[in-house]
Amino acid sequence: MDISFNIGGEAGQGIDTIGDLLTQVFVQAGFYTFTIKDFESRIRGGYNFTQIRVSDRPVHTSVDQIDMIIALSRDAVVNQRERLADGGVIIFDDSVEFDDLEACHYPAPLEKIAKEVGGDARMMNAAALGAVLSILNFPFALAQEALTGIFERKGEKIVASNVNVAKTLYDKTKENFTGTCKYNLETLESGPSKDKLLITGNRALALGAIAANLKWISSYPMSPSTSLFQDVISYSQQFKIGALQTEDEISSLAMAIGASYAGARSMVTTSGGGFSLMVEALGFAAMAEVPVVIYNAQRPGPSTGLPTRTEQADLLFMGFASQGEFPRIMLAPKDPLESFDVATRAFNLAEKYQVPVMILGDQYLADSVMNVPRIDVSTITVDRGKLAKPGSNPEYKRYLFIDDGVSPRAFPGDEGKTVVSAGNVHREDGHITEDANIRNLMVQKFMNKIPKILADLNPPQLYGDKTAETTLMTWGSTWGAANEAVEILAGRGKSINQLHFCDIFPLRTEKLRDVFSKSKRVIAVEQNVTSQFAALARMETGLGVSQHINKYDGRAMTPGWIIGKLKEAGIV
Amino acid sequence: MIIPEMLEGPQKVTWCTGCGNFGILAALKKAIIELDEPLHNIVLTSGIGCSSKIPHYVGGINSLHTLHGRPIPFATGVHLANTDLKVIVHTGDGDCLAEGLGHFIHAARRNVNLAVLIHNNGVNGLTKGQYSPSAPRGYISNTSPPPPGAPMDPVNPTALAIIAGATYVARGFSGDQKGLVVLMKEAITHEGFAVVDILQPCVTWNRQLTWKYYNEHTYSLQENGHDVTNRFQAMEKAMENGDRYPVGVFYRSSSPHLAAGLALPEKGNLKNHTNDLKDVQKIIDDLML
Repeated sequence: MDISFNIGGEAGQGIDTIGDLLTQVFVQAGFYTFTIKDFESRIRGGYNFTQIRVSDRPVHTSVDQIDMIIALSRDAVVNQRERLADGGVIIFDDSVEFDDLEACHYPAPLEKIAKEVGGDARMMNAAALGAVLSILNFPFALAQEALTGIFERKGEKIVASNVNVAKTLYDKTKENFTGTCKYNLETLESGPSKDKLLITGNRALALGAIAANLKWISSYPMSPSTSLFQDVISYSQQFKIGALQTEDEISSLAMAIGASYAGARSMVTTSGGGFSLMVEALGFAAMAEVPVVIYNAQRPGPSTGLPTRTEQADLLFMGFASQGEFPRIMLAPKDPLESFDVATRAFNLAEKYQVPVMILGDQYLADSVMNVPRIDVSTITVDRGKLAKPGSNPEYKRYLFIDDGVSPRAFPGDEGKTVVSAGNVHREDGHITEDANIRNLMVQKFMNKIPKILADLNPPQLYGDKTAETTLMTWGSTWGAANEAVEILAGRGKSINQLHFCDIFPLRTEKLRDVFSKSKRVIAVEQNVTSQFAALARMETGLGVSQHINKYDGRAMTPGWIIGKLKEAGIV
Repeated sequence: MIIPEMLEGPQKVTWCTGCGNFGILAALKKAIIELDEPLHNIVLTSGIGCSSKIPHYVGGINSLHTLHGRPIPFATGVHLANTDLKVIVHTGDGDCLAEGLGHFIHAARRNVNLAVLIHNNGVNGLTKGQYSPSAPRGYISNTSPPPPGAPMDPVNPTALAIIAGATYVARGFSGDQKGLVVLMKEAITHEGFAVVDILQPCVTWNRQLTWKYYNEHTYSLQENGHDVTNRFQAMEKAMENGDRYPVGVFYRSSSPHLAAGLALPEKGNLKNHTNDLKDVQKIIDDLML
């Protein structure tokens, strides 16, 4: 079973609540789900959709074909028609003015029944659910069980009204729906999935950061990063996390660095435009060796670009932002589950090496929802890196020259130590200098960190046949689409595998060289126009990819799209 | 007890002979000695410019010498991460009133508990004499349009601070040591956003705002019966920007400062606080269907 739903309408019409309900029902019933949000930068109106894929196998990407559309506006009835699979159905409220009815169209009294039976137009989501499940022949008993689970916290009455509304539409649809649907789930029992944690990339990052003992966050709202900031704030009272919405991103990162200098684990969240403003403070964090975590949920640029859409085009900008040369770490999680892990690692890496750590997400990662296994936090460790011995030490030097470049940290307020930091070139004691010899030693101190950082970072993962002729090279959130494309093609007997990077800077090159030597052709698959990761790989190894596949329209990559591009290029 | 030797500068001062900053440095040391706060609890932050080199001329004190215009946000982070610290910002007019003006206004609005000491000389000294945001209209420098000199009015830091919500606003003069020490001590101990606009001649570049000029054009607010609790009177005095410069406290009030409005630990500071993993696990488990 592999069904894709598309719920479309205007902003503010409740697309999300219908989507959430549908997802929850299938997760409760034991299925894997993957949801993406496609929306415009506006508060009301327009045309937005949520696309939910439900499968009895784990899924990490959306697909091009849609089996069922739930349309809340005329635009939504029309816009995705060409993506409707054969035997697919478009359900819409019978109040929507649309007359060009085809066999796939099913106008249903969603709002009417919500009001009549549930007493509240907002129960349209239960109504829509009833219609959908009826068309799929999904056993209502399973739906009832799921609805009870979802609404039981709100009391019996709410459970009963929702079940009634859903059941009414379920029965009515049995009578009225005259079309056909290619799925018949009549004999469905429960699915194989035990994964009951529904989570977005941003929420997983927020929880990972809190688990990693985040104590300070300062940000300025910017799509698509904002939900992470909001999540942390919603938990800030419970955990005592200092959080402030600042006047701009310049201030955000400056404050976070100040808080980290004073000993608090700190982060900022932003998108590319906000990161542009943070660049001078990034250089300061590097020069003063203050650990800090920067999250960039990328969106298409330059400038305002497409504010609510996705791209991976800030990689080289972040890798080389700021004047001067210094070590930094960049991590790009592939999905919500890996996001949690990346967040906890980011803080430890930042403090172990006293460098800025940047997490590169994008709108696709930030907003996509999937159900994952329960995350167990008991194994999380907080490694604060080298700290100065407690007690008085008038000789303490914050920037002591030391072989591995990492000098023990102390904090203002520590009795008997003076902690001096500056953005100028400084001596071991932190006071500024223009001495040429000290300048050289300080730069070498920075660079001496890199070998240890590299050894601490994870190598890339090779998926599929190790000896395949063709390799798709990916990084970050495009993993899912490429991974499924490889799976499909390998299933058709094609010799293809995938080399995927989460830890992207500094770049570990052993496996990269190995794969380049074995593979007949390496193809960069990136959500940008210039194949930035491939450029980085060439810069670090001298090895170039044979071909590029690039998507830069701001929309999610799909396995079908990748396969299409490979076909166009005559590769498969 | 703090003795002057403890504060002996780690570095040789690079300011010009006769610079107004010397008076500020001397007053700062005196204020620190008289306050007798444990030195490890003091943090000097600064931006960029002659003023902002001051952390390197005071020994035994924590410091964070930051970016041009940005010392206030950095200092805000230091303060909120550890509210036991006394965080002092040294900044210049070029620093605070040009690139940093937005941060200055917002920090005042938040009433964040910092003491901001503006070394104000009307000129960008370290970059060799361009007109600063506090240069008078008509000020001639190597970047002001010739003629008529700076074709705009200066920024008025004290009036802006009062309007924006600062709860302690004063003006000092580098040539009035006694008065300046008192103002610095008050600013450092004040609970809230405290600003001291310190007049300090740049002897190398500024031929207009000189020692002689300030000696002749300053007068004491407190000796002339000013009511520091009256915000409108304070504004009126702060608007006297030109021929005569009032010196002393313009405005003082009390209102909750930023830290009181954030989710900080009731005891201790963020540095030593730990998020309980059991609570994180509970959130995750509650999110599960």
